[in-house]
Amino acid sequence: MSALKSLLEKPAEWLTGQREESEMVLSCRVRLARNLDKCPFTHMARPSALREIGDEIKPILQKSPSLEEAFIINLNEISEPERMILMERHLISFDMVKNFRNRALVVQLGEKLSVMINEEDHLRLQSMESGLSIQQAYEIIDRLDNEIDERLLYAFSENLGYLTACTTNVGTGLRVSAMVHLPGLVLSNEIGNVIKSLSNVRFTVRGMYGEGSEAMGNFFQISNSITLGLSEEETVKNLETYVSNLLEFEKRAREDLLKEARSLLEDKICRAYGILKSARLVTSKEAMGLISEVRMGVGLGIINTVSIADLNELLIMIKPMHLQNLYGRTMGSRERDRARADYIRTRLG
Amino acid sequence: MICQFCKKREATIHFTNVENNKVYKIHICRQCAETQGFDELKKSNFEMGNLIAGLLDSSANAPVGRVKENTCPNCGASYVDFKRLGRLGCSQCYDFFKAQLLPLLRSIHGDTSHLGKVPKRMGNKVSLQRRVRVLQDELARAIEGEQYERAAELRDEIKRLMESGDYRGKSCQR
Repeated sequence: MSALKSLLEKPAEWLTGQREESEMVLSCRVRLARNLDKCPFTHMARPSALREIGDEIKPILQKSPSLEEAFIINLNEISEPERMILMERHLISFDMVKNFRNRALVVQLGEKLSVMINEEDHLRLQSMESGLSIQQAYEIIDRLDNEIDERLLYAFSENLGYLTACTTNVGTGLRVSAMVHLPGLVLSNEIGNVIKSLSNVRFTVRGMYGEGSEAMGNFFQISNSITLGLSEEETVKNLETYVSNLLEFEKRAREDLLKEARSLLEDKICRAYGILKSARLVTSKEAMGLISEVRMGVGLGIINTVSIADLNELLIMIKPMHLQNLYGRTMGSRERDRARADYIRTRLG
Repeated sequence: MICQFCKKREATIHFTNVENNKVYKIHICRQCAETQGFDELKKSNFEMGNLIAGLLDSSANAPVGRVKENTCPNCGASYVDFKRLGRLGCSQCYDFFKAQLLPLLRSIHGDTSHLGKVPKRMGNKVSLQRRVRVLQDELARAIEGEQYERAAELRDEIKRLMESGDYRGKSCQR
């Protein structure tokens, strides 16, 4: 599908990580859930109803100035591997990979702005930015939301706000999250305590590719858990504050590590770099860990032959479906480990 | 027959519902039916289930499982569906299952109502009530922070807004 191909040719804009805090904050994401008034929610709607809902939404999105450079991908028109690639880029959910009929993705070139049609809610607007630019990401989404609001009757109640399929999203329908890199806190075994001390019922902290405390690559996703009773501005500001506090702890942990064990830390970082530059087989998990150490090395000024943008791109390109797409064929686990290692060596070359 | 709710007015609406081999009779006057929030009453008999569910919910003698078979008139989803799937059927479900949803929403988000963005079509209708709620929030914070002058200003502003002809919200939030 040519639209998909042109999308995959460019790396996502949010990967280019130029901002000062981009080493510690990989990306941030803002998501708005919206539904059409009175229409059955996605899981409840018959295929014909889903089709009608899609037919109503698509022309409206096509007319939105915010989506001028966007194109529509009907998920039934691409293959499952292609849907998996979109999922690896956080553009669609795993549910949409399997339940793809009458579901679509509208995505801006560069992937900063996208809309899922008929995911859990009729519309899921999503904006992704590099670093901690949550306010910026929110403004982009807010503008698109207003444009859609001109032409579509949203499900809304004065008391409960925007009505969503799941009660955990009702109100603002807003989920803001940031992906933060905290190797200092993990290495110094402080991560548990810090999360507990910053413990706040309004936020959820999750390891990047797993639930609970198993954080692959020392990445943690922080997101708000409350959508009713506070404004969008408050939600954005609260997350920014929470993440800023977390980053202070991370900075201090790294300083302490440098003070107490500089040689050990440098050695660990440079060995990681060495392995990535010469290994022949690398699993996903190992790659994540090593890339994290190199990332911290770049942040601390210990490594300066690779950029954060390069590392961000690596994180996406070593994912299973991306690798298979790159090499043009399905691969078993061992073959992928080889392909991953080859790709990393080439990029870090 | 006297209304079971206010015990003052004549009951003009009578329901008989049979569920699980038990017969429930409800006698209610129009005013109470409306106060209880059932202005669907004016529309059709299909909301009967909703009315009963709501009335029985608040009755101490109501047996367990009484609301089982009520389905949203718009999409046909039942509360049992919701408990099973974790999702509601449509926007109307929020109104239809209001009684059951309120405690759940409270446990997820706290005892509160929407303070965020509104669609353009709502226009200024919401703004007065919301402005009052926002000011009440600020008032609480000012009192906590011992900014009594500011608190007095806020209190006066709240009073002024509430007394203006257009205010239609609750008078006491806290």
